[in-house]
Amino acid sequence: MEHELLLKNISKSFSGVQALKDITFQAKSGEIVALLGENGAGKSTLLKIMSGVYFQDAGEIYLDGQQMHFTSPLDAIRSGINIIYQERQLVYDLTVMENVYMENIPAKNGFVDYKNANARTQALIDMFGLPFKATDKVSSLNVAHQQMVEIIKAVRRKCPVIAFDEPTAPLTDSEIEGLYKIIRKLREEGKIILYVSHRLQELFDLTDRVVVMKDGVHVTTVHTSEVTSQDLVRYMVGRDLGDIYDRLDRCTKIGETLLEVKNLNNKWLKDVSFSLHEGEVLGFAGLIGAGRTETMRAIFGVDKLDSGQILIGGREVSIRSPKEAMKYGIGLCPEDRKHQGLVLGMNVRENISMSVLPSVVKNHFLNRQLEEELADKVIKQFSIKTPTSGKVVKELSGGNQQKVILGRWISTNPKILILDEPTKGIDVGAKAEIYQTVHDLAKAGIGVIFISSELTEVINVCENIVVMYEGRITAQLNREKDHVAEETVLSAAMDHLNK
Amino acid sequence: MMGEKRKKSFVDVVLGSNSMTLFVIWVIVILVFSVMNANYHTLQNTTNIFYSATTVGLMAIGETFLIIAGHMDLSISALAAMNGVIVALLIQAGIPWPAALLIGLAIGAAVGVVNSALANVFNIQPFIATLAVSQICEGVGYILSDGRPIPIRDRAFISLGTYKIGGIVPIPVLILLAFFIFCGVILKKTTFGRKIYIIGGNREAAHLAGIDPKKISTVLYILSSLIGALAGGILAARMHTGQPTACAGADLDAITAAILGGVALSGGKGDMLGCFIGLMIIQCFNTGLSVIGVSSFWQSVAKGLLLIMALILDYVRMKRMEQ
Repeated sequence: MEHELLLKNISKSFSGVQALKDITFQAKSGEIVALLGENGAGKSTLLKIMSGVYFQDAGEIYLDGQQMHFTSPLDAIRSGINIIYQERQLVYDLTVMENVYMENIPAKNGFVDYKNANARTQALIDMFGLPFKATDKVSSLNVAHQQMVEIIKAVRRKCPVIAFDEPTAPLTDSEIEGLYKIIRKLREEGKIILYVSHRLQELFDLTDRVVVMKDGVHVTTVHTSEVTSQDLVRYMVGRDLGDIYDRLDRCTKIGETLLEVKNLNNKWLKDVSFSLHEGEVLGFAGLIGAGRTETMRAIFGVDKLDSGQILIGGREVSIRSPKEAMKYGIGLCPEDRKHQGLVLGMNVRENISMSVLPSVVKNHFLNRQLEEELADKVIKQFSIKTPTSGKVVKELSGGNQQKVILGRWISTNPKILILDEPTKGIDVGAKAEIYQTVHDLAKAGIGVIFISSELTEVINVCENIVVMYEGRITAQLNREKDHVAEETVLSAAMDHLNK
Repeated sequence: MMGEKRKKSFVDVVLGSNSMTLFVIWVIVILVFSVMNANYHTLQNTTNIFYSATTVGLMAIGETFLIIAGHMDLSISALAAMNGVIVALLIQAGIPWPAALLIGLAIGAAVGVVNSALANVFNIQPFIATLAVSQICEGVGYILSDGRPIPIRDRAFISLGTYKIGGIVPIPVLILLAFFIFCGVILKKTTFGRKIYIIGGNREAAHLAGIDPKKISTVLYILSSLIGALAGGILAARMHTGQPTACAGADLDAITAAILGGVALSGGKGDMLGCFIGLMIIQCFNTGLSVIGVSSFWQSVAKGLLLIMALILDYVRMKRMEQ
């Protein structure tokens, strides 16, 4: 059956701030339509209106010509619109079946009809050719498969409209391919697919049309095949960014060895050895779970080492806690901003001063003025967009939150700075700023370790690249010398290919 | 929009901040009871309100620290009762009261270490860990006293709980106020206090930012137990006896006061001023009810209603802020 979704003049404002203004677009069966825009462009608000979380101030939503009035998320689901959010909407301790049938578990005489429900769920899993079972606990699945459970849930609900909010953010490149296949299959079956992502390449790989938004306004809608990524960036940021990587003012002068690790071994690592120098931007590529984060956690004193040496400035050290790591001049911006990096309920100032509290003490007491000076300096240095340093950090955009953590670590005057997925889920403009910051820091003599799951990014931002696979280092490459191509890194990241 | 000042309505001011809301409630409580009974706002009665708040108040200080840090201590009142018995027994055995009190405090500190070890080393939820310790303390109190009150005859020790400076302010009230001010300053003005908020707000982020959550919470558990042990000693002095049944449930009252005062059970939020006002609202209400001749059985009902009202007001304030 053919479906058609029409959004007409949708407007919404919060506390007098216009989040959406006159958004109009339509999508029909067998189409993948991307929603593109920087953070704060209004994509999430739009999704939340479509899913019954918010109610629009003005405008109408029509599905198959019928006007929709949602008062709750359940309404939206029943009417046929299912959103798959970045944060999983799953109950991890329950089985795949129980999650797939969450709000509508099949019952017989008031008892759960496990046989029937499991069989029906398994049929859906098999239809997508996935390797897990209906009776598996969701917590035992990997992130990619957990996401598939959400997709199966949407399919089970027979929703004609399925929207994806940054579905690839937690996935590795090979898992993304799997997701693409499934999304394309859904398209063939006549679903209307809405797709939100920051990664431009994905839009070209997957989508038919792109709806570009900026500051709550619908800028344009284009056929993906008729534009280039430069075009999209220009629509999205309102100016021509050119090629961000070409514009990067790189640090190419590499100095003394700062950090050397030899044969690090623990539960996750096997004989990891590498070194980092002054002014070096050292990239770490690999699949999720390849041991990149685990390597850094071991160096930073979070996880224990079974064996191996860590040398800082040529001297062997033993680091048992992040606090000790800080004493050796190491800083680490963790991969999960919200859960590992920030105290979301505290303000920008408090999140910045956190690691350098003694420096804002005067006469034994915390000094508000010193703390504000520190925060203002960081806000200025990194152009963090916040009205004051007293703003609660939860209310900043992802890119600005990342800069707050960066600023915190810069305040500790590190010699070695580890950035774990610093650009995850942030928009193009903010990414470019972070790349430049990384090279500025390198110019100041800091050795920067840059972990990223986006291959293009690692290859283009970092001077040297370490590739890991299953806890081992499988390749060490130089950007200039080796003319690193994505294929080279990818094959090293999936070790079995070059065996 | 800019430069144009909107006149703030009374409701805006009242709901502007948590302490303001609480303060207004406190004032209303005092006014209502003063109108109903002329004796309510006498100096004598005011002192009584503070005096009867000392045990719960001291415990509320420890709980406020711990709850902000994302922990909790349900063992304080059992510890206080046990400690009252121990101090009474030691004094009875002829040990000078300062030494007896110090031994009591040392035992308190040891209980704090146990609480911290259970929560931090064995990762037992603080609620469960301290509940278990509470049962042990309660039992030990009964075993040592054989379930009977242990009389104290040392005048000097008794005066610690009963002497009134200038004939007006009892020593325990002075201790309570001193603790509130001292701990309030620690919490708001020192790096240690800031770290309490940070570990309560996000324990993992704190750890990765070079703060040791286990160290901070250990200090707080010990502090909370020390305050509990002290409260138990003072209570025994006030009652002239060490009783294994003394102050049962006082720690729950302390937690109620803290939460009424805006301390969030989820951690990372609250302060000593709020806790103090929360405590005062409950006490003024309780004393007010007895002054106008309402049965003390109603005090518990009133406490529950006050807490519900405070939480609803908090919800209303959040909703207004979102708009």
